[in-house]
Amino acid sequence: MLRKYSNHRTQSDNVKLGALTAFSAGMVNVTSVTVFFAFTSNITGYYAVLAQEVSKGNWYQGAVVLLWITLFFLGSFLSNLVIIQGKGRWSQYISHAIPVILELLSILFVGIYLEFFYQNSLKETEILVGALLFAMGLQNGLTASISNSVVKTTHLTGLTTDLAILVSMFSKRENRHNQGLVNKFHLLLSIMMSYVAGGLFGGIGYLYFQNGVFYLTCVILMVIAFYDFYKIGRVKRLFERRKREVLVQDS
Amino acid sequence: MNRDVLVKLNYLLLAILLIGASLVIRHAESPERLIAGDWVETDWRLEKDNASPVEELQVQSGLKKEILRNVEDLHLGIWRFEKDGSLKSPSSAKSDSIEWFIKGRGHVLELRRDGRTIESFQIQQINDRKLVLHLNFDLQVKGIIEIVLERKEYSNQYAEKI
Repeated sequence: MLRKYSNHRTQSDNVKLGALTAFSAGMVNVTSVTVFFAFTSNITGYYAVLAQEVSKGNWYQGAVVLLWITLFFLGSFLSNLVIIQGKGRWSQYISHAIPVILELLSILFVGIYLEFFYQNSLKETEILVGALLFAMGLQNGLTASISNSVVKTTHLTGLTTDLAILVSMFSKRENRHNQGLVNKFHLLLSIMMSYVAGGLFGGIGYLYFQNGVFYLTCVILMVIAFYDFYKIGRVKRLFERRKREVLVQDS
Repeated sequence: MNRDVLVKLNYLLLAILLIGASLVIRHAESPERLIAGDWVETDWRLEKDNASPVEELQVQSGLKKEILRNVEDLHLGIWRFEKDGSLKSPSSAKSDSIEWFIKGRGHVLELRRDGRTIESFQIQQINDRKLVLHLNFDLQVKGIIEIVLERKEYSNQYAEKI
């Protein structure tokens, strides 16, 4: 899911990564709206809100939105920086897993802070929403970077546009038999459905687990980060067993 | 321009945005500080979605009673936002256990009683003198209640002038 890069990635790698990250993004977004009254993956909307607040002369609110957008930018920037600077220094899997771990830590920080320290002040709300936007920036930067911009899990405006274009393309018979287009359709559809499912799970989950929803998101991120670790280990064990079998046969 | 310089300018711009936004947040008047004090209700308006003038009148007369009954607890007259987070009103006995919180980017006012949210308002305008709150209602029709409040000192000055 994480260890392959760009064109070396299979459809299955992209669907797994896209669906799981979109599910976690949906959870985080809906929980954030419930707790903080602020979206965490709605950057297009925030640009409009920034312009609106500045035009109304609400400098404080405008600055808060600007800070949030900048933190999302910083998350995406850091994510790609780790990936390209990590090349040759450590394994590809590790440089792809670091942004997921950083995202996990940001969300865990929000969960723990809400559980033990939150006093419901505006300043805390702004910082915690900022941490979640930074986490979403990290995630979107990672998925877009390693999949050659095929997987974008918090950018549903673009995804809906792409889906609409694909559906219209399928009005031509030859396109319906084009495996590349069909694969792309399946990928986009699975991201969209996972995002909505994550949102529903986050909304309903909040009623039962409250801030525990953030810990559940961390569990999903751990699955993403360590899935390849488990797979690499399994392949290694299989390889060694085969090697031993060949040695036994030879002797 | 040299591309190395352009890259450095990008980093500089990013730093300026981060530091600039943080400084404005630190020094500009936050809605949480602005709201503290006494506010006098000066107007309650009902605005129904896509209403014609005739419908508007019907909404104003018919629904007003029902809507106001639903938000009777919030019809405080004078809203006293204490710095400790409690909302009191000299004219209402029920408001003693209401807590207020500002959420989002400072655009939502949440009121809670015994830890449970009783209402969330959109802060449409807030400054030294005036506070405009919007409350979405969805009873027989969808619409907005606009509550206009004025800071007590300014309201008194105005009354004295008259």
